[in-house]
Amino acid sequence: MVNFTIDQIRSLMDKVTNVRNMSVIAHVDHGKSTLTDSLVSKAGIISSAKAGEARFTDTRQDEQDRCITIKSTAISMFFELNKEDLGEVKQKTDGNEFLINLIDSPGHVDFSSEVTAALRVTDGALVVVDCVEGVCVQTETVLRQALGERIKPVIIINKVDRALLELQVTKEDLYTSFQRTIESVNVIISTYFDKTLGDVQVYPDRGTVAFGSGLHGWGFTLRQFANRYAKKFGVDKEKMMARLWGENYFNPATRKWTTKAEDANGKPLERAFCMFVLDPIFKVFDSIMNFKKDQTKTMLEKLDIVLKTEESELEGKALLKVVMRKFLPAADALLEMLVIHLPSPVTAQAYRVENLYEGPQDDECAEGIRKCDPNAPLMLYISKMVPTSDKGRFYAFGRVFSGTVRSGQKVRIQGPNYLPGRKEDLFIKSIQRTILMMGRYIESIEDCPAGNILGLVGVDQFLLKSGTITTSETAHNLKVMKFSVSPVVRVAVEVKNANDLPKLVEGLKRLSKSDPCVQCYTSDSGEHIVAGAGELHLEICLKDLEEDHAQVPLKTGDPVVQYCETVQEESAITCLSKSPNKHNRIHMRAQPIDEELSKAIEDGRVHPRDDVKIRARVLADEFGWDVTDARKIWCFGPDTNGPNLLVDTTKGVQYLSEIKDSCIAAFQWATKEGVVAEENMRSCRFNVMDVTLHADTIHRGGGQIIPTCRRVIYASVLTATPGILEPIFLVEIQCPENAMGGIYGVLNRRRGHVFHEEQRPGTPLYNIKAYLPVNESFGFTADLRSHTGGQAFPQSVFDHWQLMSGNPLEAGTKVADLVKAVRKRKGLAEEIPSLDRYLDKM
Amino acid sequence: MKVVALVSGGKDSCYNMLECVRLGHEIVALANLHPPKESGQDEMDSFTFQTVGHSVLEHYAAAMGVPMYREAIQGTAVNQNLHYVPTETDETEDLYRLLRRVKEKLPDVQGVSVGAILSNYQRTRVENVCKRLGMYSLAFLWERDQHQLYEEMVESDIGAIFIKIAAMGLLPKHLGLSLAQMRNEMHRLGNLYELNMCGEGGEYETMTLDCPLFCKAIHIEDSTRVVHSDDAFAPVAYIQVAQASLEEKSDFPGCET
Repeated sequence: MVNFTIDQIRSLMDKVTNVRNMSVIAHVDHGKSTLTDSLVSKAGIISSAKAGEARFTDTRQDEQDRCITIKSTAISMFFELNKEDLGEVKQKTDGNEFLINLIDSPGHVDFSSEVTAALRVTDGALVVVDCVEGVCVQTETVLRQALGERIKPVIIINKVDRALLELQVTKEDLYTSFQRTIESVNVIISTYFDKTLGDVQVYPDRGTVAFGSGLHGWGFTLRQFANRYAKKFGVDKEKMMARLWGENYFNPATRKWTTKAEDANGKPLERAFCMFVLDPIFKVFDSIMNFKKDQTKTMLEKLDIVLKTEESELEGKALLKVVMRKFLPAADALLEMLVIHLPSPVTAQAYRVENLYEGPQDDECAEGIRKCDPNAPLMLYISKMVPTSDKGRFYAFGRVFSGTVRSGQKVRIQGPNYLPGRKEDLFIKSIQRTILMMGRYIESIEDCPAGNILGLVGVDQFLLKSGTITTSETAHNLKVMKFSVSPVVRVAVEVKNANDLPKLVEGLKRLSKSDPCVQCYTSDSGEHIVAGAGELHLEICLKDLEEDHAQVPLKTGDPVVQYCETVQEESAITCLSKSPNKHNRIHMRAQPIDEELSKAIEDGRVHPRDDVKIRARVLADEFGWDVTDARKIWCFGPDTNGPNLLVDTTKGVQYLSEIKDSCIAAFQWATKEGVVAEENMRSCRFNVMDVTLHADTIHRGGGQIIPTCRRVIYASVLTATPGILEPIFLVEIQCPENAMGGIYGVLNRRRGHVFHEEQRPGTPLYNIKAYLPVNESFGFTADLRSHTGGQAFPQSVFDHWQLMSGNPLEAGTKVADLVKAVRKRKGLAEEIPSLDRYLDKM
Repeated sequence: MKVVALVSGGKDSCYNMLECVRLGHEIVALANLHPPKESGQDEMDSFTFQTVGHSVLEHYAAAMGVPMYREAIQGTAVNQNLHYVPTETDETEDLYRLLRRVKEKLPDVQGVSVGAILSNYQRTRVENVCKRLGMYSLAFLWERDQHQLYEEMVESDIGAIFIKIAAMGLLPKHLGLSLAQMRNEMHRLGNLYELNMCGEGGEYETMTLDCPLFCKAIHIEDSTRVVHSDDAFAPVAYIQVAQASLEEKSDFPGCET
C-alpha cells in the first residue's frame, strides 16, 4: 500500500482527464491474468514477490484451480508518470498522477459475454498476444468487439521468455515473428476501420506495442530503449524510436544509420532492433541460463542492475527473473504505455457518445456524455452484476458516463426494455451505497463523478443483468450490449429432492443475474432450462447453481442444442386465417430472408430502432429490398430484435393500424415458438397481403386478432417448405503435426470438417480451423485430448446457423426424426400439427 | 312504456330487461331471430345475432309468461359497414320484418329492449330498424363499464352459463360454467389477451336459464359439446342443446298465462 490509498484515488477521480479505463483482452491462456498481476504488483496491492504466482484477479477457487479466468474483475491502480514524459501524452492532462481502472476479462470463448460487459465500461484495451501462438480466434473476436465499441487497442506480445528459452530462435527470426504478429493484429484492426475512431493500428515505433513476459515480470516498449540510446547517440527520442524498428540498420564501422541491410562492401548489417533491443536481452539470457557467471557480472554492471545479497546467490531461471525484472520492469513499461496512448474518458466519450446513447445526440444527456461532465444529469450504465458475500445479493457494476452518482441519491433505474415516456421496466429508487471494486476487496466511497467505474449496492433488485441509471426524466437508454456469443447449448435441471424446488427457482434467478449471457427459463412443459454459450460455460453455470445459488443437490439432463426454424421457399399459396368470431380475416405469405440480412440484424447493423427511412435505404441498397416494403416493416422478432420480419404489404386496408399491436404480439409469440418444434424462427419474412376487419372496433380486439395472426403465420410457414437450422461451432485447434491424424479422425466422426490448416511460422505447431455442429460437440474436448495424447486443445465458438437438408414435414427424413425427438422432449404431440389447424377457407 | 324485448338468450339481453323493469317499463312481448330450420345450423357466425342455443329460446315465452315472436334469419351480412342503410337480403332486414310483425300485433308497443353494450355495429342496426318503425330502442347497458356490469349481473342472480367460446384463452372446458364461476378466469384472460369482460367482441356467448323475471326456470335435459372449428390457440366450441324443460320456481308466485 505504499503508493495506493482510497483517498488518493478518490481525489484522482475528479481529475477525469487523468483517468484511464481499460480492459485486458486476449485469447485463452495468452497470459492476461498473470500480466495483470504484474501490473497490480506495481500499484501496490499485493507484494511484488508474489506477482506471477498468485493470480490476484482470479477471485474464485475454480478459477485458481483451472488456471482460467471465468469472471472479469476490476482493479483500480495509481501511477505516476515521469514529469518529462508528460509531453508525450497527446491529450489534455492535469498533473502527472494517473488513475488506471483495469478490468481483467476471461479469454475462453465461452465467457466472451464477460468481455463484452468489460469493454462497455472501458475506453482502451490492452490486447495480449502469445508470442509463440500468435493471433488466435479469440484474439480476433475480442479485438473486433473492442473496435465495435470504439475502444482503442494497444498490444503486448507476451511470453517472449518462451521464445527465448524453449524455441531458441535467432534474433532476426524473433523480429520476423513479432512483425508478423503485429501485422495480423493490424489486418484485423483495419478490417473494422471506423472513421470516427481513426487509425488505431498499432506500431512498435510509436510505442503502442510492448514486448515482455508477464510470468517473469519484465516488459518493454521501444520507448525504454529509445530513452537509453537517445542520449548516447545524441538524437531526439522519437527519432530514435523510429530507428529501432523496421528497415533501419546501424553500421558500427562507420557509425552511420542506414536503411539498407548491407554496408558499402556488401557485408550484411544487423537490424537496429536486433542490435540495440534484442541483443542485450539475449545476452542476459545466455549468460545466466548457461551459468556464465563472470559474463553475468559484467552484464549487470553495464546495465546498472544492483542485486541484493540474497538475490545474487540465485541461479538459473530464478536469477534470470530477478535480473530481467530489474532491467526492464513490466509494470513501468506497460503503465506508461497505457497512460500515454489510451484515451481518457473525456477524450473517448466525445466520439463514443453516438455509439453509446440511444436518444437524440443533442439532448442534455448526450451532451453530458460527450463532455464527460460531472455536473450534467447522471447517466450510468450497469454492465453486469457481481455476487456479494451476502448470498443472493449483487453489486451492480458499471460506469458513470455523465453526472455524479452519490449514496442516497434518488435515481431512475431503466431496464433494457424501457422506452422514454413509458412506465414499463422503470423504477425510481435511491442508491444505497456507492463502492469502489478492487479485485477481492471493496471500499465505500461517498460519490463518484463521470468517467469512472464503480459498483452500486441495492440496485440488483430492480435490474436483471444490465441497464441505465439516470436522473434525467427525458433520458433514453444507453445502448444495450450486443454479445458475440449466443446461448446455443441448454440443459434441463431438476431437484433431486422435490422439497428443494423453491430453492432451485430462486437459484436460477440468481444465476441468471450473475452471468451476462446465461439464460434461465421454464419451458411450457415445466422444465427448468439453463442455456449457455458452450459446454464449459454450461458446466461452470451448473456448478455455480448447485453450490452457490441454489445450494441443493441437482439432477441435470443431457445437454441439448437449440435449433432454429426457417422457411426454404416462398409460401405456395396466400394463406388465410379467420378470427374465432369469423368476422376478421388475415392473408399472409412467408418467404426466406437473405442470410446477409439476417446476419446484419443479428449483429445490430440493421436495428429495429433505426430511423425507418435510413433503414429502408440500407435494405434497398444492400439487400435488394423494395423501398416501399422496407418502410413498412412492422417489427422484428422474436424479442423485438430477432432476424424475422413482419411486413405490411397491404393496400388501403381500413383500421389496419388498430390491429398492428395485436399482430406484433402474435408475431413475437410465433417467431419465439415456431410451428415445427416450438424453437425460435430465423430468417423468415412474413408479408401481410390483405386484411378484412369487422367494421366495429369491439369485434377486432386482441382476443380475436392475436390467435388469427399467429395461425396465419404458422400456416404460411407450413406452406413455404419449412426447414431446420442447426448451430455450427467454429473450432480452432493448435497442435503439433503428429496429433493431426487424431484430430481429423475425431472431427470426421462428429460431422465436422476442416477448412483451414496452416503451420505457424517458426514453430512446429499447426493451426487448424474447422466447422463442427454444436450437436456433435458434447465431449469433444475430452475426445480430442484422448485421441491426441492431450496435445490438442480446441476453442469452439458459435459461428453460424446451417440449414439441415430435408423438409421436416416429410416423414422418414433425418430432420423429421430430429423434430420428432425435440417435440417429444418438450412434451408436445410428436407429429407437427396439420395445416388445416391454421388455414381457413374463404 | 310498453316494451318488446329482443332476446338472444344471452345475459345482456336479459339484464337489459331487468333494467327496463326496474325503470318502470313493462315488457309485453319477446322477439327473437333464429337460424332457419331447414339449414340445421346452430351457429351461423352472424355479424349481429347470437344464434347458438336457439332451441332453448322456445321455452322463453313460457318462462317469462309473455308472448314471443320469432323469425328465421334469411339474410346475411351484406352490408358490413359500421353505419347501416337498408340493404336487401341483409340480415338486418330480418330484424325489421320481426319487429314490424310485433308492431302490427301490438300497436301500443313503443320501446325495444336491446342488450348491446359496446358494439356500435349492433346498436346502429337496431336503431335503424326502430327509427323506420317509429319505436325507441332502450339500451340501458350502453357503454357501461364491463367489469362493473359483469359484477352486477352476477349479483342480480342472472343464472347464465357459457354456451359458446371463441377467443384465445377460452377453452371447451369453460363451457357450461356460470358467470360467477368464470369471473376470475375472465379477469385473468382479460389482462392477458385484452378480452372484453362481457364478451362484447364475440369472445363468448351465454344462455340465461333463470333470472328474477322468469316465473319458471329452464333446465337443460340433454346437450352435447360441438367443436365448431378446431383452430390452434383459439378453438371455437359451443353447447348444442337437444332438449330443455321448464321447472317451477318455488319462490315465484307463478305466471298468469
